[in-house]
Amino acid sequence: MANLELIDICKGFAEPVIDRLSLTVEKGEFFVVVGPSGIGKTTLLRCVAGLESLDAGRVVIDGKDLTRVPPYQRKVAMTFESYALYPHLTVFDNIASPLKARGLPKAEIAQRVGEVARLLRIDQLLGRRPHEVSGGQKQRTALGRTLVAKPDVFLLDEPISHLDAKIRHELRRQFHELEELRQVATIYVTHDYAEALSLGDRVGVMGPGGLQQIGPPREVFDRPGTLFVARHLGQPSINAFDGVLEENGGGLQVRSETGFALPVAQAHAGRLRDRNEREITVGIRPQFIDVVDAGVAADGRFLFDARVDLHEALGANGVLIAKADGQSLSVITSTSAAFEPDEPVRLAVDPNRFHYFSADLGHNVLL
Amino acid sequence: MGKHNLQLTRRLLLAFLAVWLVFTLFPLYFMLVTSLKPVDEINRMVPTFWPETMQVGNYAGIFADPGSLQSIVDSLIVSSANTVLSLFLGTLAGYALARYLRGPVGENLAFFILSQRMFPPVAILIPMFFLFDATPWGADSHISLIILYLVFNMPLATWLMMVFFRDTPRELEEAAYLDGYRPFRAFFKVTLPLVFPGMISVAMLCWIFAWNEYLFANILTGTSVKTFPVHIPTFTQGSQTLWNLVMAFSLVAMLPPVILFIVLRRYMVRGLSLGVVKG
Repeated sequence: MANLELIDICKGFAEPVIDRLSLTVEKGEFFVVVGPSGIGKTTLLRCVAGLESLDAGRVVIDGKDLTRVPPYQRKVAMTFESYALYPHLTVFDNIASPLKARGLPKAEIAQRVGEVARLLRIDQLLGRRPHEVSGGQKQRTALGRTLVAKPDVFLLDEPISHLDAKIRHELRRQFHELEELRQVATIYVTHDYAEALSLGDRVGVMGPGGLQQIGPPREVFDRPGTLFVARHLGQPSINAFDGVLEENGGGLQVRSETGFALPVAQAHAGRLRDRNEREITVGIRPQFIDVVDAGVAADGRFLFDARVDLHEALGANGVLIAKADGQSLSVITSTSAAFEPDEPVRLAVDPNRFHYFSADLGHNVLL
Repeated sequence: MGKHNLQLTRRLLLAFLAVWLVFTLFPLYFMLVTSLKPVDEINRMVPTFWPETMQVGNYAGIFADPGSLQSIVDSLIVSSANTVLSLFLGTLAGYALARYLRGPVGENLAFFILSQRMFPPVAILIPMFFLFDATPWGADSHISLIILYLVFNMPLATWLMMVFFRDTPRELEEAAYLDGYRPFRAFFKVTLPLVFPGMISVAMLCWIFAWNEYLFANILTGTSVKTFPVHIPTFTQGSQTLWNLVMAFSLVAMLPPVILFIVLRRYMVRGLSLGVVKG
């Protein structure tokens, strides 16, 4: 049974933010919404929670239409990006708040808060106030407040993005393991694509107006429906440039304004010829461009020369920015690689890995 | 060099504080000394800085007049009732302005409310007398002063509470809604405790204004109700003012606000710094 259904919801303030968004999140599903800051992710959660009234559309939870039901009567729990912990109450009282609202007996409140606190490993902090605990502990307190309520729907707004990397990793693992989160419908909002791909059973990429693509993480990453989606998932961002398609001795090639030309793979050529459009946007993910030694065999790949602009060594890998015929490209390199500015490099790409997007609307023309 | 400068600054600051203390404490000292002098000593051309004859009986003397104690009681009734009313209305109005009336309408309304504190009070003195005189309870009553002081205290309370409410994040209330609290309960559970120190500060400011007010109390009341500032001028004997009794009574009248300040000092400081330290 579907747990949460959003049907054609619309919400705007001065400008429309969400335009006819429909989404079904199944019971037990962990749905991640990813998108750039300010695109309306939080607004979407607030609409589900009932903190914003919809301009149009319906919110249905467990088959019941809750569109006009106020937030305190929906069984929806939400963590806020700011945590929104009550500063004058202890960690215990913060977590106990939803239970107190329902007037449960004291003994049961103490027991359930204790369970949740142990689960989140904050049981030694119950007597402290929010300003006396660390960021990660605040976050877990906020999470505890939502878990203890046993709601029908969990809404998590950027729950770990403001924490430092180490705690972020630990909490990310906790999200994987928390059984409670896996029993109800959860919408998790983040701007971090890695978090989205790691956590989501399904991922929705939010762009202007609503969700641009919904699917399993792997699919959304490998088969981006639009240039926007392709650009948003991946760090460094996908290499994308506008070009024109032209015949080149039996094969098809795409040439950028600066004159940088790449061959089109046989598998793609038919589809691109059928479109009868010369203008196109090519997308190549930085991890699919390799730095190769001079004299290496092409082996089905296309080889070309470039010059180093900048190389950032990041530890686990490096990011090389190189220019080929005036076209700047990002390349992910190995740990040991080192480059000097202006050094010539030879790069290899597999044309079968290219994405093609329509020049006007940015739709993936291969899908 | 830097260290010397710091010490010099420190010394100058201490010197300034010393002078400032003399200016603030001397009047109090002189009140106390005067309140302990007999009548013939208070009018000497070269005043004595310590009573030649100590007359502690002045304090008993002021309460020989039953009107003295009654005036303190009247003042307590008027100040306290007015404070409760100002705080109650100011909190509700401030909350509404902070949460529901943002934008140009709210800003202008808030400023309009505050602006009522800016005109010279004496401008409405006479109209107010006739207005309250026409009410069933008349001008010379507790209730007339309690309502009249709202003119001054409610704008202050509303404005300050609005600022305090604006500084409490709305998300806290929203989190309470999602916990299952209705708006009214969420307000009491989350928002009110956060502005409580602010409310104490506002209460103090309102109470002290009402406690010390003389002009309106003198015109509107004076027979059946007489607050202590109106009672003070009655300490005269023939053509001479009994300054020793005036000072003794004034010192007694200073006690309630001083006690309040000491008891609520903790909240006062926190309230006035609300918004500076958030969360």
